Amino acid sequence: MHRILDRLLAFRQARNRALPFTVLFKKFQSILERNNQILELMADMGDKLGGEYVFDRHYIEDAVDKLGDLVFKLISDFSILNQRKNTQLFLAGEHIRQSIAEELAGSGLFAKGRYIIPFDELSQEMFIQAGTKMASIGEIKNRLALPVPDGFVITSRAFHEFMEQHGLLAQAARAMDYWQSNDQEALKKLADKMQEDIRNGPLPRHLSSRIFFEYDRLLARFPADNPPSVVLRSSAFGEDGINSFAGQYETVVNVSRTRLLDAYRRVLAGTYAYTAWHYRLTKGYHEHEIAMAVGCQVLIDGAVSGVLHTYAPQYGEGHMAISAIWGLCAPVVQGNSPCDFILLGRLPPYELHSQTVADKPRRLTPAVGGGTVWQENAPTLRNSPSLTGEQLRTLAQAAMDLERFHKQPLEIEWTFDQNGNLFILQLRPLNFREVGDLPQEQLEEATRNAETIFAGEGFIAQCGVAVGGVFRVEDDTDLESFPHGAIMVCRHTSPRYAAIMHKAKGIITDFGSPTGHMANLCREFRVPTIVNTETATALLKTGDEITLDATHRTVYRGRINALNHFALVEEEVFEDCYEYRLLRQILQHISPLNLINPQGEEFVPASCRTYHDITRFIHETAVDEIIRISEKQEGQHLSAPKRLIAKVPIDIMLIDAGGGTSCQSQDRTVTVEQIVSIPLRELLEGLANSGMWCTKPVANLGSFMASLTRTFSASLSTPHEVGRNLAVIMPKYMDINLRLGYHFTIIDAYIAEAINDNYIYFRFFGGATDFIRRSRRAQFIARILTAFDFRTEIHGDIVVGRVKKLAMSRMAERMRMIGGLICYTRQLDAQMNSDADITLHAERFVEIMTNMLRGTDDISHPPA
Amino acid sequence: MTSPTRPPEQRLHILILDDEPIVCKRLKPAFQRMGHEVETFTDSASALDRLKETTFDVVITDLKMEGADGMLVLAKAKAASPDTHVIVITGFATMETAKESYRQGAFDFVAKPFKLCDLLECVKRIAESRRAAISPQSSSQ
Repeated sequence: MHRILDRLLAFRQARNRALPFTVLFKKFQSILERNNQILELMADMGDKLGGEYVFDRHYIEDAVDKLGDLVFKLISDFSILNQRKNTQLFLAGEHIRQSIAEELAGSGLFAKGRYIIPFDELSQEMFIQAGTKMASIGEIKNRLALPVPDGFVITSRAFHEFMEQHGLLAQAARAMDYWQSNDQEALKKLADKMQEDIRNGPLPRHLSSRIFFEYDRLLARFPADNPPSVVLRSSAFGEDGINSFAGQYETVVNVSRTRLLDAYRRVLAGTYAYTAWHYRLTKGYHEHEIAMAVGCQVLIDGAVSGVLHTYAPQYGEGHMAISAIWGLCAPVVQGNSPCDFILLGRLPPYELHSQTVADKPRRLTPAVGGGTVWQENAPTLRNSPSLTGEQLRTLAQAAMDLERFHKQPLEIEWTFDQNGNLFILQLRPLNFREVGDLPQEQLEEATRNAETIFAGEGFIAQCGVAVGGVFRVEDDTDLESFPHGAIMVCRHTSPRYAAIMHKAKGIITDFGSPTGHMANLCREFRVPTIVNTETATALLKTGDEITLDATHRTVYRGRINALNHFALVEEEVFEDCYEYRLLRQILQHISPLNLINPQGEEFVPASCRTYHDITRFIHETAVDEIIRISEKQEGQHLSAPKRLIAKVPIDIMLIDAGGGTSCQSQDRTVTVEQIVSIPLRELLEGLANSGMWCTKPVANLGSFMASLTRTFSASLSTPHEVGRNLAVIMPKYMDINLRLGYHFTIIDAYIAEAINDNYIYFRFFGGATDFIRRSRRAQFIARILTAFDFRTEIHGDIVVGRVKKLAMSRMAERMRMIGGLICYTRQLDAQMNSDADITLHAERFVEIMTNMLRGTDDISHPPA
Repeated sequence: MTSPTRPPEQRLHILILDDEPIVCKRLKPAFQRMGHEVETFTDSASALDRLKETTFDVVITDLKMEGADGMLVLAKAKAASPDTHVIVITGFATMETAKESYRQGAFDFVAKPFKLCDLLECVKRIAESRRAAISPQSSSQ
């Protein structure tokens, strides 16, 4: 009892006893250091998704462990700094750690998340909740912007809850015993019983009302006098993925509101049809991996429908094959009705290679009251081609977009509605493994005899093979005319190219980083890309036919179909490997930044949903905290924090840790003249006298600066918006944290006579602005730092520059340059018209700076 | 370089052993694409059995596995055929394991995760050194 009391009292005493500022400052520095490590590790994990690296599960576990550990220590350091328990932060961290552990264990996969997901919110990453098929429908709709019938998904969680409630999961578990003892009769009986129980099981009330709610919301988007009916499609976990479950599961067509729940249960029951179950067991699936999400989609009353194979080597190289029929798609899939058969070229303009028009006596249509019915075709339709030339082109283009994204040949079900609009109904991978292997010699010969335009240059941003025509992009107008299926060749990487990502087969740039934002986009869109080749635009011009083998960093002249074939029939697309999907899924708990606005109500520990959120919160708050601590400890250990009076409206609080200023310890303000700290003095010199802080147009930077001032106006000139900036100084040392708008600059520098101790560490990272702006800014800064001898790295939106061991005078010059750069970047948030502007202004900046540094030490206006 | 097919001496017979299937999955097509013949294993017992049956030009093995570990595979591969080049890949790289691998005759030691092209480059070097060894005059011609 005494001991406990002592401990409690000791805690109280500890709370009351202030730690020396030097200790707290060390904690603060440690927070910054961990913050950096976390951001770098996060970026490193993101880079692994491009395919250039081979990693395994151990890497993921290791990285996740390190990250969790760093975040925990970050919160612990912060607890010492702010001398609070920070329970909410620890809880948030633990919650995230737990979610990641669950992802890793694959446990409880289906027992969480939402019951219903509208198509608008679907993406490939939701394959666990939405099933593979519907997740890919979401991807088609939301990422590739191709038309799919609108709808929603009733998720794996709904399935799980329904099954659990009726004790059906336990019942299904018996299958494994029957399978192992090869008792097929028992398995058949179990399959029948399962299906019956599912069809007769009432849905939990909350689930049925959610389904009806979403169904009504969906139908409200259509005219009330002519409401569409819906189709319920199976979307099992794994269906249409690596193992195609084509035709194994149920689809219920033309369903009205009254039959909605029955149809849903019918699709669920299909999960346990004997043939499907048998197939799963053969493929080695375990019962706990089984979940059936169900897509509820508006039924498109198809005028003409069919199936397209994006790759059809059985008819010769370079073909895609289309089967088409009047009416709904089902007869084509079932293969029991005559269809038109068309072969098209795989490359734009998708030439018609052959067309066989069949006699099509009847068509399947939606029946009144549900289901489908056959109708006779008019004599004029029977022997007419079902697709027009324009429809063929539209279809071919969509198909090649889909294939490029999925990086494998696909079977696509499609329909044109009565108004001639194309809809993608579903797709699945085509498997050529058995028949498609090329003789090795043929492949070798093809690549050996091909002319290599260049090889071994640049960095891989995304692996893969692309065959097509080159299209050179110089500026934004070129983007508008970018043709489908072309390979983009350009000078610089830019996230602006997101606009054509879905059209491009491949990308090659002269400059750029494989860890930049464009690289992220290439990964997201799976576009084979190499960056920083330095020579691409010199060697390739619009119209050149090439084969880009990004995996081997090689560009060949001409179309090497053998190579394309090899890539297309590869056993497994790496993005679909379990580990890649796992890493992508885990990163969802790590990388997204939700805490964006420090002034917002959401900027609290309880809102932290990712590790990124936690680090952002702590970083932001730690700066405030160190200022508060220094204010509180006034007179005890160090002088009072002082507000810097400077020419530029930058609100800096200074903590003089000993000898950094020449003013009295009780003074609350300090002038520039009173600064003794060499790094800060030089930085301020650059800030004030580089002539780059103006909010008016800077004459010598012309229209560029003029465009900047619109965005910046006066908003950044008030201290409140600028945020609290903090510098801790000593005579030769400075550590400064600046927040300008939503981006951060950290500079840690030591400048003295002894060359060996000298260093400047500069770090810049940005918060809330979009991809494009952050990436351009990062490129701009990196280029300037490099020009001034910094060793520079870009990780996502982080730029880090380090320079060491230069003479004091040269270090001082670089601090002044950074002063100028801070002014400049503060304004760089605004639009730049093109990447060429980045180069142009980086060059101008360097020129102005070089002149300034060479010229007088007292430049009060920008050089002409 | 005008020969229509890769001469057999340039084609390597490669064994890949890693208990993580993803490593085999990613390496196999990359080496096939270079014209080599590839066999993959995810358990060391089967790989060792196969090493008894046939000689491989290159063995790429993980270090830490259930059963026989990579060091043993390295030793057995070298014992069976001293000309076999062994590349050790591991997610648990330490200076000690690297030293030990080289001491046992490993051609290279690669820490996971690694860049696919680095490993391809490594095998390219082996192919070149073998070619030079088979026809020592060819380089001077």
